[in-house]
Amino acid sequence: MAQKNRYGFVIDVARCIDCRACLVACRVENEVSLPHTRIWVKDQGLRGTFPDLAREFVPYNCMHCEHPPCIEVCTSGATFKDPDNGLVLVDQEACIGCGLCVEACPYDARYLDPTRGVVDKCTGCVHRVERGEEPACVATCLGGARMFGDFNAPTSEVSQALARATQVRQLVTDEVDPDPNIYYLNGDVMQTGLLPRLPRYTTAETLWRGVAIPAVIAGITLSFLGQAVAFTKQLIEGEQEFEE
Amino acid sequence: MTQLFTRRDFLKITGATATAVAAGGLLPASVAKAARDAGLIDPNGDGYIPSLCEMCVWRCGLLAKVRNGRVVKLEGNPDNPHSTGKLCARGQSGLMNTYDPDRVLYPLIRVGPRGGGQFRRATWEEALDLVAQNMLAIKEKHGAEAMIFSSTHNLSQVQFENLLNGYGSPNYGTQRSLCFNAMVVAFSLTYGVEEPSRDYTNVKYVILVGRNLMEAISTSETRQLTAAVARGAKLIVLDPRFTKTAAKATEWIPIRPGTDAAFLLAMINVIATEKLGDCDFVSRYVNGCQELPQVMAEYTPEWAESKCGVPADTIRRIAREFAADRPDAMIHPGWRTSNFINSFQTERAIATLNAVVGNVLTSNGCLVALNPEASGVKLGKPPQPAYPRVTALRLDGVPWKYPLVPLKLGIFQNIRDAILTGQPYQARSWFIARQNPMLSLPDRRKTAEAFGKLDFIVDVDIIMNDTAWYADVVLPEASYLERYDPLNVVDHKLFLRQPVIEAQGEARSALWIYKQLGERLGLGEFFQYEDEEDYLRQQLAPLGAELQDVKYKGYLEVPVEEGDGEIVFGTPSGKIEVYSETLAGAGFSPWPTWEEPPAPAPDEFYLLTGKVGQHTQTATQNNAFLHQVEDEPKLWIHPAAASARGIEDGASVRVTSPIGSVVVTSLVTEGIRQDCLFLAPGYGHASKGLRVAYGVGVSDSDLHVTYTDPISGGQALSQTFVTVERA
Repeated sequence: MAQKNRYGFVIDVARCIDCRACLVACRVENEVSLPHTRIWVKDQGLRGTFPDLAREFVPYNCMHCEHPPCIEVCTSGATFKDPDNGLVLVDQEACIGCGLCVEACPYDARYLDPTRGVVDKCTGCVHRVERGEEPACVATCLGGARMFGDFNAPTSEVSQALARATQVRQLVTDEVDPDPNIYYLNGDVMQTGLLPRLPRYTTAETLWRGVAIPAVIAGITLSFLGQAVAFTKQLIEGEQEFEE
Repeated sequence: MTQLFTRRDFLKITGATATAVAAGGLLPASVAKAARDAGLIDPNGDGYIPSLCEMCVWRCGLLAKVRNGRVVKLEGNPDNPHSTGKLCARGQSGLMNTYDPDRVLYPLIRVGPRGGGQFRRATWEEALDLVAQNMLAIKEKHGAEAMIFSSTHNLSQVQFENLLNGYGSPNYGTQRSLCFNAMVVAFSLTYGVEEPSRDYTNVKYVILVGRNLMEAISTSETRQLTAAVARGAKLIVLDPRFTKTAAKATEWIPIRPGTDAAFLLAMINVIATEKLGDCDFVSRYVNGCQELPQVMAEYTPEWAESKCGVPADTIRRIAREFAADRPDAMIHPGWRTSNFINSFQTERAIATLNAVVGNVLTSNGCLVALNPEASGVKLGKPPQPAYPRVTALRLDGVPWKYPLVPLKLGIFQNIRDAILTGQPYQARSWFIARQNPMLSLPDRRKTAEAFGKLDFIVDVDIIMNDTAWYADVVLPEASYLERYDPLNVVDHKLFLRQPVIEAQGEARSALWIYKQLGERLGLGEFFQYEDEEDYLRQQLAPLGAELQDVKYKGYLEVPVEEGDGEIVFGTPSGKIEVYSETLAGAGFSPWPTWEEPPAPAPDEFYLLTGKVGQHTQTATQNNAFLHQVEDEPKLWIHPAAASARGIEDGASVRVTSPIGSVVVTSLVTEGIRQDCLFLAPGYGHASKGLRVAYGVGVSDSDLHVTYTDPISGGQALSQTFVTVERA
């Protein structure tokens, strides 16, 4: 059986200059509304004392994990891992905006867009990738820090970069290891603040099952009743015309 | 800062604009038609149109993705050597520059008091007539020299110069004395080119003297340096501040401000006395090199240590490392070198060091001293008569007080001061194109005062920047995505800026505006082109090329004859002039030399300026996409200096200079010397017509004292000393 593609990122921490071209490119490409963002560059701040200083910048976004905690908690089935390319995606038509996945993501790489009532996140610019283009953030990366490609293809830039690398790191801990598909080069300098947090879905899920689901069911029922009343009323009173 | 609009509003605004254009009648949408004819977009209006970025002056090639008459994404053009397929944050945000809700889209005439921000919409006819009438009246009454013209480094500059030279004023202001006069004058005198280009292909050792390439971004060069470091090149950064470039350096040397020349002169001393240079190159191509051991004798590393605070051993080691890696070693010429009145000497020392290790060539060196105008590409241009003879002195003192400053650079800050003094005569009016002297010049209060003394101020811009806010007439230029400009020559390629969308409102190109005004001033002979496309056709005519061909790829490759390999530098002697007869003749030291810069009193600080990677000068702070990714502008202060004054991180502090004071938030950081403060540049806009930028940060133009380098005319931007206290 042909193995599916496994798309992901390789990020060379040594080469990120914190220019933030990726942040703007992502916003424009994906029409991400202000002030939200799908990707970040973490400035770790200064290490050391004057004049022996160091400072690194760590780009990150959805890690398109092999075992994504966000999918486990998705009640509507909107979040899924694309079987063809391995990217973790959200079907925003199906998303009900409950936000459980936002809490479940140990990297805080998702956000709830309150105006649209759906969850939004990095798609790996799948629409570009399908056309054979790089994701917008990668395409414009000045420092050459961001790379994207198929880890299953030995000749891809990301596979080659991993093969050459002397030091590769995933952002995982003993407790939280969803096997993320961002591999960091020269990541020994990355600080603990970047490590994944424990998912919060335990409490949220309890809340969901105990309170929210009955509430939603009640809401749907009430809404149905309301529609029925309005329909009946309309039948009795006749349809009111409205002007354009 | 409150958010003024959401992406949805933004789409609504731009959608409405698109609808308005479509509903504007049966006029053909010229951009769409041209793009369709060129095969760039499909019948639905979707596709990519190549053009040139203008979010800074680097002019990256771009590919604008358009959908149904709107630009939706900008990509770097891989065929352009400046973008190499990439755009920086500013370039990526460029469509918000065009779709900024604060765009000025119609000619405006001031109705309230100057600076009050009250304007009424006018027709082009009325606005242009008013400008022309005023300009003619001033010429009649006070002479053409009473009119100041200023604009910098735009592709339409040649036609701007026609306007001022045809009108007959000698008073040409550029921003260059606030930026790179020291570099340009020093390198012109030493190598015969304004700015040698850098080649990082094989470089092993790079010294940056205050050149912050990771934040003062030039896309291709920033990329090349990053790649060089990644493959193991050594990077030495001299900067009083731990910049993002310093963060990538092999070695950061937090040198005392204003003393880079001491460090560099000592490097020359070491290389000359230890004979580490390239004797063959030096004897053939460098004038004055043999005398360096004697001339530089006093500049020992120990002497330099006493000036710049860097240990003598470090200087000696770096000099030896630098020479050992020759010819694959370079000291970057720098860019904004307007720091101290001795910055010219710093630049002379840089030019000398590169020469003595033999890395400067006219081709294939890591510094290439080839004049870009000598590229062999011969463009056509519309015919025009000779300019009228101008006898009046220039207000900026060039060349009668500053003999070595090129006329096309000038001394911007001196123009402002001459308005105030009325010497050598009183200026009456200022025509400003896409410049922001109100915020960019040091000492904003003085600039406002100078504006107050003028009878008439015209500003050409795309948004209501601070200068437009104080103008009498604002003429709306089309943004760089909406207009044509004259061709740009880069490495034997001619690049085209072409409209990727229809101009919004009544915005018009500079080529159109200058021509319209020129004709009203009776200068029609200087503007012999029908429209922008005709101008370009006349440029292309000698090459036998069609505009249509250039439009499709966005550029045209021009075959040029290669030189015969003979190395001749564009100096009087044809050699690199470490010893300069020209300098001697003007009464200055013919050798790179030490000039002691002023130093702050014990309780004072150097006030440093610089760049951030997300903004260009004072021009982009209103861009909502950039605003969102910028750092809050703060005052950097070292923890020891802060704690001595009871200043905590994030505290409100008052910074006071001899000319003013500002209150700003502190950033307590180890990343700066104890005797320095750094203020994020470009903020503190006074125009309420900039709804994103207004009220954000403070401007160093409220603090900077005006000091001018007598040789290069550069403004010494880091020579203002300040005190700081809790506010």
